[in-house]
Amino acid sequence: MSAQAPASPPSPGGPTGSSTEVPLFYRRGFRNVLQQAIYVAATAIVAWYVYTSLDLREFGFGFLSDPAGFAVGSQWLIDVDGVTNSRLTMYLVGVWASIRAVLVAILLSTIVGVVVGVARLSSNFLVSKMAMLFVEIFRNTPLLVQVVLWYAILLVGAPIIQNVVNVGDFFFLSNRGIAIPWPVPSGGLWGVPDWFVGVWVIALIVAGLFAMRVRAARQERERETGQTHYSNRWAFSIFAGAALISFLLLGVVVSIDRPIIDGTQYAEGMVVKPEFAALVLGLTAYTGAFIAEIVRASIQALPRGQTEAANSIGLSGYQRLSLIILPQALRQMIPSVTNQYLNVNKNSSLAYAVLYDDLFRVATVVQNKAGHALEMFFIIIVTYMLISFAISAVMNVLNARVTSHRL
Amino acid sequence: MRFPTLKGRRLTSALLFAGAALVAGAVIGACTSDEEDQQAQAQDQQQQQMVQQQEQPQAAQPQQQQQQQQDQPAQVTGEARENTVQLVKDRGTLLCGVKQTQPLFGFREPDGSVVGFDVDFCKAIAAAMEVDLELIDASDASTRFELLANGNIDVLIRTTTITASRDRELAVDFAQTTFYTGQGFAVHAGSGIGSTADMGGATICVQSGTTTEQNLADHFTDLGLSYTPLGGSDQETQDAFLAGRCDVWTADQSNLASRIGVLDNASDFVILGELISKEPLAPGVRDYDSEWKDVVNWVVHGLIAAEEMGITQANVAAMASNPPNTAIARLLGVSFEGGEVSTLGFDSVGAQFIQRAIAEVGNYGEIYANNVGDAVPRACSLNALASEDKSNCPVGTGGILYALPYR
Amino acid sequence: MSELPPIPRPEQLPLPQPPGQRRIVLPPHRERARRPWSVRAREWIRRNLFPSPGGTTLTILSAGFLGILVAGVIWFVFFDANWNVITANRWLLFAGSFPRDEAWRLWTSIAVVMFLIGLAYGTWSSLGRRDSLFIVLTGAFVIFLMAHGGAAIWSSIWFLVAIGLLYVGYYLTIWMPRETSMRRVWQQRVVGGLLAVSLPLVLIILMANGGATTRQFDGFVLNLILAPVGIVGGLVIAIPLALGRASTMRTIKWTCTAYIEIVRGAPLLGWLFVALFILTDVIGDNLIINTMVVLAVFTGAYMAEYIRGGLQALPSGQYEAAQAVGLTKMQSMQLIILPQALRISIPPIVGQAIAIWKDTTLVTIILTLRELKGNADSAIAQSEFIPDRIEAYVFVAVVFWVVAFMMSRVSQRLERAQGIGER
Repeated sequence: MSAQAPASPPSPGGPTGSSTEVPLFYRRGFRNVLQQAIYVAATAIVAWYVYTSLDLREFGFGFLSDPAGFAVGSQWLIDVDGVTNSRLTMYLVGVWASIRAVLVAILLSTIVGVVVGVARLSSNFLVSKMAMLFVEIFRNTPLLVQVVLWYAILLVGAPIIQNVVNVGDFFFLSNRGIAIPWPVPSGGLWGVPDWFVGVWVIALIVAGLFAMRVRAARQERERETGQTHYSNRWAFSIFAGAALISFLLLGVVVSIDRPIIDGTQYAEGMVVKPEFAALVLGLTAYTGAFIAEIVRASIQALPRGQTEAANSIGLSGYQRLSLIILPQALRQMIPSVTNQYLNVNKNSSLAYAVLYDDLFRVATVVQNKAGHALEMFFIIIVTYMLISFAISAVMNVLNARVTSHRL
Repeated sequence: MRFPTLKGRRLTSALLFAGAALVAGAVIGACTSDEEDQQAQAQDQQQQQMVQQQEQPQAAQPQQQQQQQQDQPAQVTGEARENTVQLVKDRGTLLCGVKQTQPLFGFREPDGSVVGFDVDFCKAIAAAMEVDLELIDASDASTRFELLANGNIDVLIRTTTITASRDRELAVDFAQTTFYTGQGFAVHAGSGIGSTADMGGATICVQSGTTTEQNLADHFTDLGLSYTPLGGSDQETQDAFLAGRCDVWTADQSNLASRIGVLDNASDFVILGELISKEPLAPGVRDYDSEWKDVVNWVVHGLIAAEEMGITQANVAAMASNPPNTAIARLLGVSFEGGEVSTLGFDSVGAQFIQRAIAEVGNYGEIYANNVGDAVPRACSLNALASEDKSNCPVGTGGILYALPYR
Repeated sequence: MSELPPIPRPEQLPLPQPPGQRRIVLPPHRERARRPWSVRAREWIRRNLFPSPGGTTLTILSAGFLGILVAGVIWFVFFDANWNVITANRWLLFAGSFPRDEAWRLWTSIAVVMFLIGLAYGTWSSLGRRDSLFIVLTGAFVIFLMAHGGAAIWSSIWFLVAIGLLYVGYYLTIWMPRETSMRRVWQQRVVGGLLAVSLPLVLIILMANGGATTRQFDGFVLNLILAPVGIVGGLVIAIPLALGRASTMRTIKWTCTAYIEIVRGAPLLGWLFVALFILTDVIGDNLIINTMVVLAVFTGAYMAEYIRGGLQALPSGQYEAAQAVGLTKMQSMQLIILPQALRISIPPIVGQAIAIWKDTTLVTIILTLRELKGNADSAIAQSEFIPDRIEAYVFVAVVFWVVAFMMSRVSQRLERAQGIGER
């Protein structure tokens, strides 16, 4: 055997156990340490090479507090300008813009995905083929091209503001965007300041939590006694009642703002701008197609017996889907769907291509003005990771709830 | 000893693994030199075809020096970091960063070639250096200076404004201005906007990552007006403006004129006379490389001087063989009536570098006429020669272009 | 709401043939198949389109929607759109600044790749009628594009030859025996080896001996080069990464985990930002090389996760059995674990390959490398085509769709052929 063994000097060996006969070189622990030491050394060499090649002379984050020197258009609930506000403020505005787009896209893509995924399995030939067409088209084209295409279609397809489509002064459509009525804080009956609306929101949250508790308690009793306790109706009544009473008590602190057109601009109301719409449309269709496939696979993975059992106890198609199939499929799909949500977050960076000032675009503009690419990249990565982390955390909670649910 | 050879292989596997990691590191490290070796070889071939005298070792050596210089931490202030003239000559190719999406200045023909006003200056410099020309895309405003600083390009000729902060803060140095313009505004015909004072609340399309963005923010702060910016690449902002997404489009006036001038429905848009800034567009070179800057600078001056002296692409050969006066002989780098030929210190590129540039693209006036003459009239504009007859020009207009003395 | 698939009815299942009787009763589905065509069609329509009042409403609604959609598409494609922006710029879109004198290199590469695809199809799969239809339609589309406006006869012929080579390769291998034998193993090895060297081979054809430089890769050619480099490079990085993450040694496990999570944490656009701003200090100033590195590094992290999933999906009995027969770790990995794990993770890996294919469009945004989408932007910057952006982008979308769709078909086929998902 020594013919093949490396010519290492036989070490005296330790005094304990079976390892007395084992040369140091062949001992598991030593091997382990040696391998790791070599690995660490190699990694360190590579890391050191990278570190030394970087240009770190002016590393630092001080540049973020300088005045921005540019303005961003995608503001909501905030008012910043490029001359007085710092670069960091501008970046945070971009982060907020990204989060908005991601949240809306996640919500819409889930709806689209479930509907298309179920339609894909429909026994109706036309419906299932249309669902397939949707999936194959939007899954296999680059998201970037989809987004710019949506934007081009919105710009060219929608009328210019002078020919705006006006639906009863409630809804405007032009290539400046869609304007819809939107609630805003108001003085109400007693002329309170705007922040009073916050009190109402807190009241809503408290009422909501209380309603949830009542619902859980009644469900528990339902399980124990077997009698119907109308938990959902109770919860809803409690919430709605509390919301209405507190609203009236505070003196109607919210009013609805109807959009108006001032010259060539929308004023008041809520405006969904085409840049935002293009980004969200692209993300929704793209992610929706992927979620549809996940939904389909999860449903198909269910045992056939589930469908048959639902049929045999006489549930309608809709009942079968909403009570039997989807709740079970949901458990299977949450991990994959979470992945898609994380992708939405990362793909939102494509806002860069449609003039929507998301965090990535703002970061590159800042970088262009101030240099400091390494720092900016560090900030970008950390921001995306934080948003991803938040999404995963929420989805983990959801997952835990769904999987721990009793059958 | 009972340890079979199989165990021995674990060591080899570990060593193999570590070796692979080391090799990976080495490959990453060597990538640069490999790449450049290959380049050097390819360049050698090209050079042998072009310049017979060059020998291989000479070609390889400066390359290595170059590498060493780059590895040393560069001085923020101080002596030359690198010698681009030598680098370009060794490479046999000039890497010129140009726009590829702006009509008249830098855009692509259906056959894939890039043409335009800026591109002609690239050609002139390449011809002056007697090297091939490779046009690198620098369309994105946000990343152009980084391309230059990183050595992806040798010279940036991309409608770039000289500003103090760019000159000082970024690793860019500017040569002689090739085009004088200012920041202008385009509006839709019949919009009733006659000046920036009418633009309160307007949506304004502006190219992000440019000086225009900052000028706009400053100007509207001075006016005390608010506006909604819509920032993107200049092509995106153009499309948004043409579609009616924004009321106003601001950019260099030459840019506006070139993009609107080529449209079929150009009369639907009005370019306001008001300029809110000076935008001298100049070639950018890397900082701390004055020899290279001198070459670029004097090619531009030489082309302007050629126009002043009446040297054209057509007659440059005749002028060179029989120069009418000493100034022309000096500019073209030929002897006047048997006298000495002076290189004026431009030994590295040869005395006749301006002559080659003129032979390639013509004088400044010809470049202007060939590219932008139709859309942006030159007479009485800042880009006309200072020696032009101003009697027919409106008050306050007229050219400021004149070549510095080449002697 | 829509319906779920019908449960297979008993009469749809093949009945056992009663012994002793000759062709008296066929299974019901065979019986139905013997009924006249018109009856069958009517029955199919009734069952699939008008099963119930609700189903009928759904059908009518979706038919109306589909009708409007199709009419809109036809109106756009045949009447509204100005496709000159594509036909006039076809070289710009295809190869851009690739030297025109060297175009033969492109055609040769395409022919070689087509031939290899044919070989691979014949070895591991088979071309169905649908695949052939798809190939013919795509080929016709490409040739129409090249022939439009004339002067591209040679390119068309080259392309026809390439498609022909695909079929030559296919028929060279398809008739070989499929059952396991040494000959079959060698066939697979040879074709696999050829596929493995195809990428370097293509790069040699394109660049060797005075060919194009990396900077001249442009247009669709750039997409076609970047994506395979990203995919192959990613796989090469992914396997050690996945093993490292599953390793028991902490330092290795931690660094691999950190690598995977950090890379997956930021969007590709962010990493391309690195290719431009940071990697130039580390590797060099050739953006295309940097982009390739970034694509490989990025893809590797994702693929590593999929391979790790495959490793985890293997029953631990596999590891134990390998140990029990006395294989070293290296051997058991090579012979037992990795082949199975890779087989399980083929579908998500191909999914990632498709993703990278689509993501090659992103290099235009940050790096301003001029791939297909970037050159489409250049095409619509030409003054006569400024209003035609929708046409240009639709064309780009269709081109990417064709390739991605083909890849997903191959993935499904592999999945089915290897019985993945049926275990």
